[in-house]
Formats: sequence, structure tokens, C-alpha cells
Amino acid sequence: MASVKLEGITKRYEDVTAVDNMSLEIEDGEFVTFVGPSGCGKSTTMETIAGLTLPTEGTIEIGGRDVTDLPPKDRGISMVFQNIALFPHMDVYDNISFGLRLRKYDQEEIDRRVQEAADIVQLEGMMDRMPKEMSGGQRQRVAIARAIVRNPGAFLMDEPLANLDAELRVHMRTQLQRLHRELDTTIIYVTHDQAQAMTMSDRIAVIDGGVLQQVAPPLECYNEPANLFVAGFIGSPAMNFLEGEVIDGGFESEYTQIDFDPETHGVTPGQDLTVGIRPEDVFLAEDSRKAASPTKAFDAVVDVIEPMGKEVNAYLLFDRDVEASAEGRGEGQLLINLAPDTDIEEGDDIRIVMDRENVHLFDRASGDAITHSLE
Amino acid sequence: MTDRPSETGDESEPVADETAVDAVPDGGVADAETVDQPVADPTADEPELDRGLIEAWAAKMITNPDRAYRASFYVATIFFLVTTLFPFYWLFVVAVTPRNNLSEVGVFLPAGFNPAAFIEVFTTLPFHRYVFNSFLIATIATVAVLLVGSLAGYVFGRLRFRGRNVMLLLVLVTSFFPPAAFFIPLNRLFNTNVDVLRPLISAGSLYNTPYAIFIPLSAIFLPLSIFILMTFYSQIPDGLEDAARVEGTTRIGALFRVIVPLSAPGVATAGVLTFISVYNEYFFSSLMTDGRPGNWAPMLEGILRFQGEFEVLYNLMAAASIIAVLPVAILVVVAQEKIVSGLTTGAVKE
Repeated sequence: MASVKLEGITKRYEDVTAVDNMSLEIEDGEFVTFVGPSGCGKSTTMETIAGLTLPTEGTIEIGGRDVTDLPPKDRGISMVFQNIALFPHMDVYDNISFGLRLRKYDQEEIDRRVQEAADIVQLEGMMDRMPKEMSGGQRQRVAIARAIVRNPGAFLMDEPLANLDAELRVHMRTQLQRLHRELDTTIIYVTHDQAQAMTMSDRIAVIDGGVLQQVAPPLECYNEPANLFVAGFIGSPAMNFLEGEVIDGGFESEYTQIDFDPETHGVTPGQDLTVGIRPEDVFLAEDSRKAASPTKAFDAVVDVIEPMGKEVNAYLLFDRDVEASAEGRGEGQLLINLAPDTDIEEGDDIRIVMDRENVHLFDRASGDAITHSLE
Repeated sequence: MTDRPSETGDESEPVADETAVDAVPDGGVADAETVDQPVADPTADEPELDRGLIEAWAAKMITNPDRAYRASFYVATIFFLVTTLFPFYWLFVVAVTPRNNLSEVGVFLPAGFNPAAFIEVFTTLPFHRYVFNSFLIATIATVAVLLVGSLAGYVFGRLRFRGRNVMLLLVLVTSFFPPAAFFIPLNRLFNTNVDVLRPLISAGSLYNTPYAIFIPLSAIFLPLSIFILMTFYSQIPDGLEDAARVEGTTRIGALFRVIVPLSAPGVATAGVLTFISVYNEYFFSSLMTDGRPGNWAPMLEGILRFQGEFEVLYNLMAAASIIAVLPVAILVVVAQEKIVSGLTTGAVKE
């Protein structure tokens, strides 16, 4: 059990800065997920924590001990890798006991610990199998057993579920959560899949371009994103963005107008503004009572409908002349969630309202959030 | 069926040329116009034609190309087996030919039978000592080459750093020089008395010691091994090395516990190539010692010792050669499986 503290971690490769001045404190027993698009520096950050790469600047503390210059083996951590990385020339027992044998534990202790770890991940009776004789999920369990057998201060998990098929991934996700509850160890988890981040973590660290964007519990990242990047990255389907500017008495874009008092939110008329609204916070005008505080209604045309079962995704156009972009999320387009029994069809003219309580304002120049509610 | 005629038509031509002259006019014109006509159904025509033995055989080959492939496979295999194994057989023939009959040595059968030559080899000279010298020198050189080659192969294969390619090229360039070019400076060096060495080596110089042989030979054969090992080590996924390091090894520990075992075919290939090269090496081996077995003269020197002032004991030389081949033959058989996969695939799957 150990806390992990990053202070001013920067990693530069020749002319690329992979991680830029990252500072973060992870408490003992916390499950923190680094999430971000590929190439954002989340794996590099994890490698610096593991000691597989040395940071260009900054210090790393694990369990209150400065480990910045220590080799990986002396940091009291263990790691689960994306490609699982079991040693192909060793059987399950040898894989799990590898670290213990290197540390010269006596044989009884090794046997006991290996057995214990194997029990936790349910690997009974597979001790003499070779990795290539096992399925993806079994291998992943061996990798996890190898990680927990040493009782490390912190687990580092680098996209451990990325190579598993969808069904197994969901299953392993719950297994990992259970594991975290049982072991109560610090877990640092890296993924590009925001669903994994949302479901498992105590806190999410959203990273983009090597810079920490927001560190907060999952729901806070969802409800109060710190900036445009977090707002767009967390949540599926993603938040809608409307670009416009502040006018006297509110916000105006090409197709929408939302009333509010600029002064209460500290914006000045003429300022470039982006309004963010999640798909579930938009309603049909006739259902406007579902919104806590509806805006005035806008005209829209239904472009495409995607019935999802428990809900319906509707891609709207503000105007029939709007050119629909391939992703359906361009300027003048809006994605909304509706109840599955909503009676609309593609091509319908409808009127919609947004819930003012969940309208996010972002300063477009800096990307920073201004407010997460207009009420 | 439709594209069959054109195939068979092409193939039948040279056969016809060889075998029966009267078939030529027919076959010659066939190409252009009769493609679909006479050869359309060769099996149907067969019994009616009065063919010679070879012609019939050729026709069979044409209708059943697999037989032709199998036949040519055996021909080629037998050819290579004969060319590689016959010299050994002939060595054996010479070896068992009694000393007095050496002038009338046969090609296929020995003139007389004297298996005692294989024992005389050891009684006439301490030939076992020569073989031991070579074996020991080759073993030490192989171990040294694999050790240094592994470290260098790891660096060149798995690390990225400025100047990597230039350094690799420099290493490889050493192996481009003819080894003889190094001889004179090395010989001078090894004949120089170095006081530091005096406690270790009585004479104080490396001449007449195994060091004088395996040091230059290791250096000469090292670049090839570095190159082989580099390609193998570079194919081991990074994750495995990272995992080993996190689990508790240093980089070097990860190299020897994970990367080397997973590159076994490459290591075996590099090792066997080095061993054979050093074991068989003559130039340095013969010049760096005075040729006495006690002074670490190698196996080849021993074979040459059967050549006296008045007589050349060809039978003993032949017997000694066969004996000298044995250690290498055993080694290759043992390592064969690994070498073959090493030379052909070169790939390591995770």
C-alpha cells in the first residue's frame, strides 16, 4: 500500500514533449485512471512511474520515498501490460513466481503466495500450463496474479483489457473492481476507453497533449468538465458544442439563442463562446416540463434516428440547408437522446428545448469552462 | 482440363528432342496450331502409340507431374548427399588402407583393411591433446563471443541512441578486413613480454598460450554473432523486457533471463557458427604457437604433424581428420533443431 506523488514530471524526446509538467497526488488505496486519446502521454507517464523511462524533469514519490532515480525493480510496484507480456518460455507457476524467485524468497513462502494469488484470480489447476496454451482471459488473469503476488505498494495497469474481446473486457472490468476492493491497493490504470475510466475509478486524470486537463471523480468530470477537451472526451455519445458569441442578454450562434445575464457569468459581449450541452439534456418542446428549467424552443429537422433500445439517438439539423457532416456532429448539427417511445421520424420538423441547468459555457479562446449551469 | 494442353505441350518438347528424333517434326510444329488437337487427351492416345521405354516414362511424367517433382527431388538429394558425404567416405577409405599400400589407394574400396589407424593416431602423437586444445579454445571463444555478442546485440537491437548505426557499421567493418591483415601487429604484440602478465603466464608473453589464439579469433568472429543476435533480440517485444524489469531484474538480468532464452535459435546459430569457425581455424592457430601440443597447438597442427621428413602418413592424417570432425558433428546434431529454425525463420512469436 502506498501513495504515489508526481511533481512537475516532464518527459521530452528530442523535440517532442510527451509529458508536460505533470503534478498529481494519488492517495493510498485509490484507483486512479489516466485517460486520453492515443499519444496523449498517459502511457509515458505510467512508464515514468514504473521507472521504465526516466523523466526529463520532476520527481516521483511512492509511499513517501523518492524513487525518481531508482530502477523499476526497487520501486515496490507491479505492472500489468497491454500485450499481457507473460514470459512465453515459462509455465504459469514460473511466470507468477518470477519476481519472488528473483527476490530469493524461500520455497515454502513462494508456494504459499503463488497459491494465494492464483486463488484470487481463479487459476486453480493451471499451474503447469504454458501461456500459449491458454485463452486471452486466462493469460490476463495470470498476468494479474503475477502482479499481485508480490504485494506491491501500487499496481500499474497499462490498458490491460485492450486486447480482450468485448464480452471478456466487461467481465474483467468487474473482476478488477472486485480485486481492488479485496486488496485495497493503490491502482493506477491507463486506458483510452472512457467507459472503463468512468466505471472503475475513484478519480479520473484526463490527459491531452501531455498536459493534465482535469483530475476529479468520474461524475465530476462528466458533470463539471474543466474545459472543452474534457467535456468532449468524457461521455458517450459526446457533448454537443455550439459556437457563437456573447451578446447583450445572452449567447447567440448561427441557429440558436440562449438568454442569460453575461455579467453573472463574468463574460463580456463580443467574447467568443462555446456552449456545451449533453445529448440527454435536450428535450422536445412538448416535453419541456422534463427539463428543470427549459430554454426557449429552437426549430430543428430530424436527420437520422438511431434506436438504441433503452433510448433513441436523434441527429438533428438546425436548418434543412445544413450540410450534414459524416460524424453527424458538425456546425448546425445536434445529437439528442430521447425516450424510446418518442414519436418522431426522419425528416420531421420538430421544436426542441435545452435544460438551462445543464448548459455549459466555455471560453473558446482558452477552452476553459466558465459555468456548468445557467441557473 | 482446358488449360492442360498448353502446359503439357510446352513440357513435352525437350523430352521429344532428347529421346526420339522422328518425334521432333511433330512436336516442333505442335506449339502453334495443334495445341488443342493431339495433346488434348494424352492418356487416351497412350496405349496406341508404340513408345520406347524413355518415351513412355516421359509421357507418364507429363500426365503426372508430381512424379516428376518427386523424381527430381530424389536426384537432387542424392547428388548433394554424394558430394558432401563421399569425401568422408574416401577419407575413411584412405584411413583404413595399410601404410604399405598407401601408394595404391582405391577410390571406392581400400587396398587392405587396417582399422588400427584410428588407434595409431593417438599412439604416434598425442593427437587427443591437439583435439582437446582446439576444443577448449573453441569453447572459450564461443562463450566469450556469445557473452559479448549478447551485450552488444542487446544494445544495437533494442536501444535507440545517437550514432547507433555508425557504431554498428564500425563493428561490422572489422569483419570486412582479411584476418591476415591483423596478423603481424598481433604477433608482435603477443610476443612482447608484458610484466603485468608474468604472474599469470610464465613467459610473460601471450605466445604459446590459448589466449593468443582465442582472443584474436573471438574478435574476428564477433561481428557476425553481434549481427545475428541483434536481429533476434530486436524482435522480442518490449513488454516482456519491461515486465522482467518491473518484476525484479536489471536490464542485464532481463537480457539473460528472458531475451536470450526466447532467442535460443539465434543464440544456437551464432554459437555453432563461432565454434565451428574457431575449431577449424588454421591461420592464427598455427602461427600463434610453436606447434607443440603442450603449447596449445590446435587440432589442424596435429594433423599436419603426421607429415614427416621422409614419409607422409596419409592414412593417419585421414583417420585424424575423421576423429577431429566428430566433436563438431555431435555438436551440430545436438543443436540442429535450433539452428535450422534459427537460419530459416528468425522470427520469435510472443
